[in-house]
Amino acid sequence: MADHRGALDNVLGNVRGGMIPAHIYNDKAIFELEKERLFSRAWVFVAHKSEIPQDGDYVVRRVLDDSFIITRDSKGDVRALFNMCLHRGMQVCRAEMGNASNFRCPYHGWTYRNDGRLTGLPFHREAYGGDEGFPRSSQTLLPAPNLASYNGLIFVNMDPSAQPLEEFLGDFRFYLDFYTKQSHGGLEVRGPQRWRIKANWKIGAENFAGDMYHTPHTHASIVEIGLFREPKAQKRKDGATYWAQCGGGTTYKLPPGDFEQRMRYVGYPDEMIDRIKRVWTPPQQQLVGEDGFMISAASCFPNLSFVHNWPKVLDSADGTDSPDDVLPFISIRLWQPISENETEVCSWFAVDSAAPPEYKKNSYKAYLMCFGSTGMFEQDDVENWVSLTNTAGGAMARRLLLNSRMGLLSDDSPVVDKLPAEAFHGPGYAQVGYNENNQRALLRLWADHVQMPPVSTATTALGTAAII
Amino acid sequence: MSTAQLGKPVGKPLPFNDNRHLQAHQFLVDEAYLLDAQDYETWLDTLTDDIRYLMPVRVTTALGAGFDTSPGMAHFDEDKYSLSRRVARFATEHAWTEDPPSRMRHYITNVRTFACDDDAHLVVQSAELLFRSRGDVNEAALVSCGRHDVLRRCTDQWKLARRTIMVDESVLRMQNLAVFL
Repeated sequence: MADHRGALDNVLGNVRGGMIPAHIYNDKAIFELEKERLFSRAWVFVAHKSEIPQDGDYVVRRVLDDSFIITRDSKGDVRALFNMCLHRGMQVCRAEMGNASNFRCPYHGWTYRNDGRLTGLPFHREAYGGDEGFPRSSQTLLPAPNLASYNGLIFVNMDPSAQPLEEFLGDFRFYLDFYTKQSHGGLEVRGPQRWRIKANWKIGAENFAGDMYHTPHTHASIVEIGLFREPKAQKRKDGATYWAQCGGGTTYKLPPGDFEQRMRYVGYPDEMIDRIKRVWTPPQQQLVGEDGFMISAASCFPNLSFVHNWPKVLDSADGTDSPDDVLPFISIRLWQPISENETEVCSWFAVDSAAPPEYKKNSYKAYLMCFGSTGMFEQDDVENWVSLTNTAGGAMARRLLLNSRMGLLSDDSPVVDKLPAEAFHGPGYAQVGYNENNQRALLRLWADHVQMPPVSTATTALGTAAII
Repeated sequence: MSTAQLGKPVGKPLPFNDNRHLQAHQFLVDEAYLLDAQDYETWLDTLTDDIRYLMPVRVTTALGAGFDTSPGMAHFDEDKYSLSRRVARFATEHAWTEDPPSRMRHYITNVRTFACDDDAHLVVQSAELLFRSRGDVNEAALVSCGRHDVLRRCTDQWKLARRTIMVDESVLRMQNLAVFL
């Protein structure tokens, strides 16, 4: 056991030093530790409020192997109910989405309101002797140990004593707002598209967190067909990466201009810019208007990512390419772990709810062409990640430390200095150019979690006064 | 998101010896060979300029819910321009996902053809199973789907004007859809 711990400490020490033991991307023992220590206490994204706009609306989502019904009850409150009948453990809801006032277990007919309360228990009096045998009125489906939301993003935490969500998100909220708050009404999302890839979940999270370096090469074809002008190597390295507490991301450097001009450059219509100006704080607007950085991809620890790009998606009527034809889209995505070498990607299209219909239509089109199950960016990413995962499963991968030290000299001093506050108005720290600072920051959080003791949990016993 | 109301089927399926059915069936089989061979430039020419190529995201819903696709979300929702961009990408030297290329077999079966209320169109339904193998030992992937197509009579050939692909899985077990169905 001591040897075992020593080996883990060695792995985590290397990770913290920016040298990644390749097997962490395909290692059953590591995955067991992630389940026991990381996902047992992390805030895991499950849904956006706009997916359940009406009372009774629900979607069913998983946190690892646990199924939760994310429902808006008849009073309008959002709940996350463990999808397991209190009696024999059947899933009380076997659909992925819908609208229901009640969930009835198909096994013995126990029935629950959409707020989780047990309301129907066939032959309660005859079989259980009524409330004396089983106090029905006080029972509910197990609620998720912790539930919270930010800008409509709903998160579940399996640790009942987890740090509050807003505290966890902290400074990263500044950047989350760019994606999720473009008007008082906030986002509406569609989807998710769901598909399974034979790749470890961490790879996507790291990629979205800070891998500007891959863009010009992996996505060369996107530039060549005229879909997105920005990833050209020379332009991509002018962007900055930032890290703020629990997450970080990439940006592109925009051509000179003020806030409105730069928002127009990426394709926002004036009426959206007006609404955005009413909800983004002065520093958020300065990041674009003065510093000239526009957010692109980002990841929030552990497995939630975002992307905001502005491709050219419409055929010019006159057959000429006009740079004004670009249009932004936003995607939210979850890298849901299935095993050490398989991930279910859940990818949502997101758009400001107040955006004009034509904008929503074209932004959706932009999303489909670039990301998601058919997206032309995504196609090449996944090919790489599957290949990496495959190779990481062998014996040689245990002998190889992958160099993830880009941006650091051998004495750990930075290749490029951090941007001063007047050149980057966001919280956390940022620097221009290619580096792997964010991937290292994400994996440091990962290492800290994998080293924590397992979360202690209580057992809930229902319908009995006996102490278990 | 509504499927354009083009080519309204009339009556029962055409008999299998009806010339229109034979032509429609041949169209689908010829197309399957183009897709297997990834001869996408030729394939694009078999699509009308106003093609709508739609593959909704399927969702599991309760019996009687009245819907089984994700509202407003698709895997593919394409027109000729977006399809042409996808094809153009494969012609670059940097579409890594298909280099080396997949080995594919598009199995087309259960074909039936309906006449439409106008002579210019046929409705063709088919079942499709795509087998896709990448690399030497990667597990092969399958996609099973039903297709509802509208073919249009153009000067000397039929062309595909509408395709709706109803995939049989909610969660795809394929690393991407860098392929056509």
